[in-house]
Amino acid sequence: MKIAYIDNQPYEYKEGETILNFINRIKGERSVPTLCDAPNLDPFGSCRVCSVEVALEENGSCKTQASCHTPVMENAYIYPNSKEVQKLRKNIIELVLTDHPLDCLTCEVNGNCELQDVAAQVGIREVRYPEGANHLDRQKDLSHPYMTSDLSKCINCFRCVRACDEVQGQFVLSMSGRGFDSKIIKGLDQSFNESDCVSCGACAQTCPTSAISDVFQSKAIKATDKTRTICTYCGVGCNLEVSTHNGEVLSIQAPFDAEVNQGHTCVKGRYAFKFYDHPERLRTPLIKRNGKLEPATWEEAYDFIANKINKIKEENGPDFIAGISSSRCTNEENYLMQKFIRAVVGTNNIDGCARVCHSPTALGMQRTFGTGAATNSIEDLKHTDCIMVIGANPTAAHPVTGAKLKQHAIQGKTTIVIDPRKTEMARYATHHLALRPGTNVAVLNMMFYYIITESRVAQSFVESRTEGFDDFKKDILALDLAHLEEVSGVPREEVRAAALAYADAPNAMSFHGLGVTEHSQGTFTVMQIANLAMITGNIGRKGVGVNPLRGQNNVQGSADMGVQPHQGAGYMDISKSEVRELYEKFYKVPLPKEIGYKIPEMYAAALDGKLKAMWIIGEDVVQTDPNTQMVIRALAKLDLLVVQELFMTETAKEATVVLPGASFLEKDGTFTNGERRIQRVNKVVEPIEGTKPDGQIIVDIMNRMGYEQADYTGPTVLEEVSQIVPFFKGVEWDGLGENGKQWPVAEGGVDTKILHEESFKIGEGKGKFKYNAFKESEELVENEEEFPLILTTNRELEHYNCGAMTRRTGNVELLTEDVLMINPKDAKKYNIRNGDKVGIASARGEVEIHASVTKSVRPGVVSTTFHFPEIMINNITSDVHDSEAMCPEYKVVAVKVRSLVAQ
Amino acid sequence: MSKNLSELSGRKGLHGNLFEKLGDAATASGTPSEDEMKSLANDFLMGTANTYGATTFYDFLKPDNKNKKVYTCSGSVCMMAGTQDGVKTSLNKHFKEEEVGHMCCLGRCHENGAFHYNGKNYSDKTDEEIASIVKEAVPYQEDTYNVYCHGTPILTQPFQGVDKLYQGFKGLLEKDQNELIEIMKASALRGRGGAGFPKGYKLESCKNTDSDVKFIVCNADEGDPGAYSDRYLLEKQPHLVLYGMMASGYMVGAEWGVVYIRGEYPESVETTEKAIQELRAANLLGNDILGTGFNFDFKVIKAQGAYICGEETALLSSIEGQRPEVRVRPPYPTQEGLFNKPTVVNNVETLASVHHILNHGAAEFTSIGSEKSSGTKLVSLDRCFNKPGMYEVDMGTPLRTVIETLGGGFKVPVKAMHIGGPLGGLVPISAIDRLSIDFETFQKEGFLLGHASIVCIPEAFPLIQYLEHLFEFTADESCGKCFPCRLGSVRGAEMLHKAQHESFKIDRELMDDLLETLEKGSLCALGGGLPLPIQNALMYFEDELKGFFA
Ligand SMILES: Cc1cc2nc3c(=O)[nH]c(=O)nc-3n(C[C@H](O)[C@H](O)[C@H](O)COP(=O)(O)O)c2cc1C
Ligand code: SF4
Ligand code: SF4
Ligand code: SF4
Ligand code: SF4
Ligand code: FES
Repeated sequence: MKIAYIDNQPYEYKEGETILNFINRIKGERSVPTLCDAPNLDPFGSCRVCSVEVALEENGSCKTQASCHTPVMENAYIYPNSKEVQKLRKNIIELVLTDHPLDCLTCEVNGNCELQDVAAQVGIREVRYPEGANHLDRQKDLSHPYMTSDLSKCINCFRCVRACDEVQGQFVLSMSGRGFDSKIIKGLDQSFNESDCVSCGACAQTCPTSAISDVFQSKAIKATDKTRTICTYCGVGCNLEVSTHNGEVLSIQAPFDAEVNQGHTCVKGRYAFKFYDHPERLRTPLIKRNGKLEPATWEEAYDFIANKINKIKEENGPDFIAGISSSRCTNEENYLMQKFIRAVVGTNNIDGCARVCHSPTALGMQRTFGTGAATNSIEDLKHTDCIMVIGANPTAAHPVTGAKLKQHAIQGKTTIVIDPRKTEMARYATHHLALRPGTNVAVLNMMFYYIITESRVAQSFVESRTEGFDDFKKDILALDLAHLEEVSGVPREEVRAAALAYADAPNAMSFHGLGVTEHSQGTFTVMQIANLAMITGNIGRKGVGVNPLRGQNNVQGSADMGVQPHQGAGYMDISKSEVRELYEKFYKVPLPKEIGYKIPEMYAAALDGKLKAMWIIGEDVVQTDPNTQMVIRALAKLDLLVVQELFMTETAKEATVVLPGASFLEKDGTFTNGERRIQRVNKVVEPIEGTKPDGQIIVDIMNRMGYEQADYTGPTVLEEVSQIVPFFKGVEWDGLGENGKQWPVAEGGVDTKILHEESFKIGEGKGKFKYNAFKESEELVENEEEFPLILTTNRELEHYNCGAMTRRTGNVELLTEDVLMINPKDAKKYNIRNGDKVGIASARGEVEIHASVTKSVRPGVVSTTFHFPEIMINNITSDVHDSEAMCPEYKVVAVKVRSLVAQ
Repeated sequence: MSKNLSELSGRKGLHGNLFEKLGDAATASGTPSEDEMKSLANDFLMGTANTYGATTFYDFLKPDNKNKKVYTCSGSVCMMAGTQDGVKTSLNKHFKEEEVGHMCCLGRCHENGAFHYNGKNYSDKTDEEIASIVKEAVPYQEDTYNVYCHGTPILTQPFQGVDKLYQGFKGLLEKDQNELIEIMKASALRGRGGAGFPKGYKLESCKNTDSDVKFIVCNADEGDPGAYSDRYLLEKQPHLVLYGMMASGYMVGAEWGVVYIRGEYPESVETTEKAIQELRAANLLGNDILGTGFNFDFKVIKAQGAYICGEETALLSSIEGQRPEVRVRPPYPTQEGLFNKPTVVNNVETLASVHHILNHGAAEFTSIGSEKSSGTKLVSLDRCFNKPGMYEVDMGTPLRTVIETLGGGFKVPVKAMHIGGPLGGLVPISAIDRLSIDFETFQKEGFLLGHASIVCIPEAFPLIQYLEHLFEFTADESCGKCFPCRLGSVRGAEMLHKAQHESFKIDRELMDDLLETLEKGSLCALGGGLPLPIQNALMYFEDELKGFFA
C-alpha cells in the first residue's frame, strides 16, 4: 500500500495518479480550483491555478507543483491550500482579469462560468495592474448555424483545441501567434462556417467561459433543469443531458460520467433537437376522406381503424394485415406493437426497419455464434491492438463511436478499412482495401486463404470452440485467388498484409455496417466476419469480437422485442409449439402458427392482393425503401394504411389514417444500443398537444379491439418484458440506473459485457465455420452492360435517414442536398463538372441530382445519400435482396449518368 | 502538445519533415501561402489550423515577416552596446523600412553591430562596408574571435581529422551499451544547456524504454543573448558534437540524430552539414557502420526564429511541425519524445564532451573540476572585455580569473554581469570573488551558471531599462501556453515602461507578487527564470531603482 499525505494526514494513492485526482478523490471534487483541466482531456498544465505545495517531509520546505499533471510521489506531503498557493492562485486570476471583459452581468454564461467560480473561490477583489494591452476588441463569430465564438472572453486554456483534437479528432482549432497575442483560430483563421468544423460541440461544452459556445447558449444559467436521456438518432446510444425551462427544451449537453459517450456527442445528438416542436409536427389524427387527409379526433380515428381491421380480419383473415414497427421507438413500444399484431390482430406479419439494414447481421451472427448481437463493448477499444472496419463509415453514421475509432487510427494503431470509398477512417488507416462494391465475400475469402496458408490459424481456439473448420479450410484452399483479385480489384498483397495484421494482433476487433449487410451476400459476409474472428481466436475476451454498428437508435431493441416475423419477444422461434405455448400463456390468447411476411414480402403480397392493411410506425418506407415506385404502388393497393408519424412524410401522404406520435423527448422507455446496453429514456417534456406516445396509441387500439392492456408507461411495460424475454430477466427500471445494463441481465441485475466467453449459444456450444463462395450481384449481372457504373448509397453526418427530423433543424443549413459523388476520371468521361446537374438512371428509372467530383470514390463507382425527398434516390435502387435475410441491396445498383447541362 | 499531431507528423518523420516543409514553403515569399498550408495539412492528415498555427508562431515564417530582407540584431549585448541605431540607419539607405526586421542575438556578442543579410551574419561593419555587403561587392569574411583554453583542452582541442577522432570507435561499438552508460554516469557529466541534469541518467532512461525507434536530438538552438559557445562548437568543432550524438545513439539504441540549429546561425548549419558529409564520405554513416551492425544517420533541422524552441519539449514539437509550446512532464522525452518515441535531448556542449569521456575514461573527467561539476566549461565573453571571445576553463576556475586573466578586464566601467543567459542571475561586481565557474558556487550565491555566457551591464546603462528589456524579451518569446508567463511578462514590461516614461511608480508589493507568481507558477524556466535577475537587481541595486517604485 502506497501512502502520501494531504495536510499531514496519510492516505493511500493509486499508482500513477495525479496529485489533483488524489486530492479530489479524498477531499471531494473541485477542492482544488482548475481552469485548463477537463474530465475528458489529457492534463495540459497551462492555467497553473491547480498548483499545490509539496514537501518531502512533514512541514518541510515546499515546492510548488501543478497538481493536474504531476503524479503523486510516495510519502510526499501535499498541502493543497497553503497560504502560499492561495496567494499564487489569486495572483494568477488577477492577471487573467487584466485581459478579460468585466461585463459578467451581461455575459451569456453569467452564473455558470468556471472563471467566475474560480475567481470567487480564490477570493479576488481587485485588479491592481494599470490598464494595459488587451484583446477586448475581438469580434464575435456568429457565422454558423450552431457554433459561436466571442474570443474577447477567451482565457487561452486550450481546452477547445484539445477537445477538437483528443475527442473529435477534427483538428479544426489551434492557436495562432505566440505569447500574449496567441489567439484561438479555426482553420486558416476563418469563421466557424468556413472551417471544417463538424459541429460536435465538444469545444463549446468544454470551454470554461462563453468564448466558444453555441446558438442555444447551452451553458447559460437558465438551462439548469436537466433531464438525462438517450439520443434518438443512432445506435451508439449517447447519453444526453437535456435542459428545459418551463416545459421547453433549451439545449442539450452530454454527461461526462456517461459510460457510452463520456461527455461527447455528435451534431445530431447535441444540436438537432429543434424538430420536436417544429411547426410542421403533426398535431391531430388525420383520416383520408375523398382522397384528402382531414383532421379527426382520436376517437374517430380509433373507431375507423378498429372497424376496418375487424372487417378485414373477418372477410380475409388476420394474415391480410401487417405491421411495421419502428426502431426509433422504445423497447416497450416495439414490444407492444408486436404483441398487438400477434395477440390482438392474430398474425405474425410483423417486421421492422432492421430488415432494410441489419437483418443480415442478426441472422449471420446467429448462424455462426447463436446470438445476433455485438459480442463486445465499445469501451473495449481501450484494450484492442487492431480494428477492422468493414462496410462502415462510422465518422458520419456513428459519429461518437466513429470519433473513438478515429482516435485509434490516428494514434497509428493497426487499422484495417475495407470499403470502396476513401472514408475518413481510410485516410488514417494502416490498411485500406478499396474493393469494388459487392465483393466483400471475395476479399474476406482471400484473407482466410492467407491466414490458413501462412499458419496464422488460432489452432487451440479452433479445435476447442468451433466445428466445421476442416471443410471450411478445404474450400478456402481451393480458391482461385487470381479470380478473386480480379473481381474485387484489390491486389492480393494488400489483402495478405491486412489479413496478417489482423491475425497477428494480440487482440483484434471488427466493426461492420450497412456496407456489409445491404448486399445480396449480406448474411454471408456477416458469417465470414464472424468466421474471421473465430479462426484467429478473437472471441470471448476484452478487446476482440464482432461488433456491428447498428444503424438506428433502437434497432437492436426492436429485434430483441420480437419485431420479426419468425421470432417473438426474446428471439424465440414462434413456429415451435412449445414456444408458442409459452407466449400464449403469457399473452393469454391463442397465437398464429405461420411465420409472417418480411417487409419486401409485404409489398409483394399487397401488389398480389394478399394484403389489405398495413400499420407503419415511424418509418418513411416510401423514401427509404428501395424501388420507390413499386412501394407506392403496393401501398396504394391497400384498403387501410395506418401511419404513426411525427411529420407528414412521403409515406404518411399515402396513408388512410395518420396518427401523430410523440418524439423521444416526450416519453419514457428504454433503448438498447449497439452494444446490447439497455438504457433509460426519460421523459423531458410533455407530449406536444394533440400527440400521444406511440406506446399509448397502441395500447388504446388494443383496448379498443378488446384486449386489456394497461396504459403505457416505460416501467410497467418493461416489467412485462422482463417476465418473457429471457435475457431481460434481471432488468428493472430503477436498477438500470444512469448508464443502463448490457444484456443478458441475470436475476439480481448482473449484466454481461462480453458474450461467448466460455461457449457459444448454439447447438453443442461450438461456433460454426461455414464457407460461402463469392457470387456476383444479380443486379450487376443483369444490368451492367447498359448501366456500367455502380451506385452505392451512404449517409452524411448531418442528416439521419429520410431526414424527417434533421431536415427540420439547423442541420439543414450545414448540408442542404443530396449530391452524387463521382470520380474525376468518370466525370471527365461523361463530361460532368463539379456542381453540374446530372441524370442518374438505373433499370428502374432516372432521377436528377447535382454532381460532386471527388477522389473519395474510385472510378466506376458513384455514391449518394437519401436524406432529401427532392431527389428520392430510391426511385432507382434495386429490389434485389440479401439471399438469406431479404435485406435490400442499397449498396450495389447498376447505373449510368449523363450531364443535364447544355454543353 | 498534441500526441495525435506528434504521431501524424511521425508518419513521415524526418524524411519529408513537416517543419522543414513549412520552412521550404516560406522561402519564396517569406511565409507559406494558404494553398501550401492547406496542402501540407492534407498530406499530414492534420487541420489547416495546425499548419497555420505553427507558421504564425515563428519570426521567420509568420505572415508579418513576408517582406523582410535584412534583420538587425536585437539581443541584449548589441542593445547595450548602442550599436544598433547606427546599423539601422546604414541599412535604411538600402532597404525600405518594412524590409528591415530583427533577430534576437546573432551570436556576435564579441563585437556587436550585428545584422543578418541574405543567409549570412555580419558584425561591426562601417557604413561603407555595409554598402558593399548589400551590393554583394565583397566576399564573405568568416567571423573571428579569441579562442583560448585555460586548463584541460576538451572542447577546444585541435581537430586532427575524422580518422583520428574515430580511431577507437569500432571498439566502442563492440562494447556493451550498459557498460558505456556506466562510464557516462561515472563521469558525472551534467547537461550544459542550463538545467545541469546528469547525462548518464538520461541515456539510461532512454535505453530502458522499450521502442523500435529512438532519437538523439542535439539542442543547438542557443538563443541566450550573449552566448555563442554552441555556435563556436558547431562551426569549429562540429565533429566533436556529431561524435557525441553517434555514441549516444549507440548507447540507447537510436538510429537517428537530429541537430536542431537556430536559424540565426546560418554558418553553423553549413559547417554541420559539411561535417556530416565528411562522415558519410568516411563510411561512418548509414547501415552497418564499420561492420558492427550499428546504423546511424543525421538530420539537420534549421529553426525559424523562436527562443522557446531551446526548451527541449518545445524543440521536439517544433521538429514535428507543431506549435512549439512547452509540454508537461512526465512523460519525459526519454520516455515519449520526438514523434512520441524515446528521445535524448542534449545541449551541443554536453555532447561535445562525450568523446573525451569515452576515450579517456570517467576518472580522468571527474579529476577535472569540482565534486558536482566535472569537466570543463566554455565561457563566452562579450565586447565589454578587453579580450572578448571563447574560453574553455576547468570547472571550478574562479570567476575573477576568467574576467581578469582571460578577458583582460573590462574595457568600460561595468556595474554587473548577467551570467548564464536572460534567465541567469545578475551578478554585481561585488560578488565576483564568491563565484567560480561551476554549478555549486552559483547556486549557493543565488545565481545560475546556465550556459556561462557573460553579458556586462555598463555603469552608464540604466538598469531599469535593462529590466524592461528582460521582461520584454520574455514577453516576445513566451510561447503563451501558461497563464503567468503569457500575461505576467507583458504586465511587468508595461509597468517598467510606464515608470520610465510617465509619472508612474510601480507598486513594489505588486511587483513582488508578480515575480513570485512567475517563479512559482510558470510551466517552464522562461517565465520561471525571469524573476531571478530582476530580484538580484532589486536586491543589489536598490539605490538605483528605488525611485521607480512606491
Ligand atoms: C526557455 C528555455 C530556453 C532554453 N534554451 C536552451 C538552449 O538554447 N540550448 C540548450 O541546450 N538548452 C536550452 N534549454 C534547456 C533545455 O530545455 C534542456 O534542458 C537541454 O537542452 C538539455 O540538454 P543538456 O542536459 O545537455 O543540458 C532551455 C530551457 C528553457 C526553459
Ligand atoms: S464543434 Fe467539434 S469539430 Fe467543431 S471546432 Fe468544436 S470540437 Fe472541433
Ligand atoms: S475558447 Fe474557451 S476553451 Fe478555447 S482557449 Fe479560449 S477559453 Fe479556453
Ligand atoms: S453518435 Fe449517435 S447516439 Fe451519439 S449523439 Fe450522435 S446520433 Fe446520437
Ligand atoms: S513559462 Fe512562458 S514560455 Fe514557458 S511554458 Fe509558460 S508561457 Fe510558455
Ligand atoms: S488545471 Fe493544472 S495547470 Fe490548469
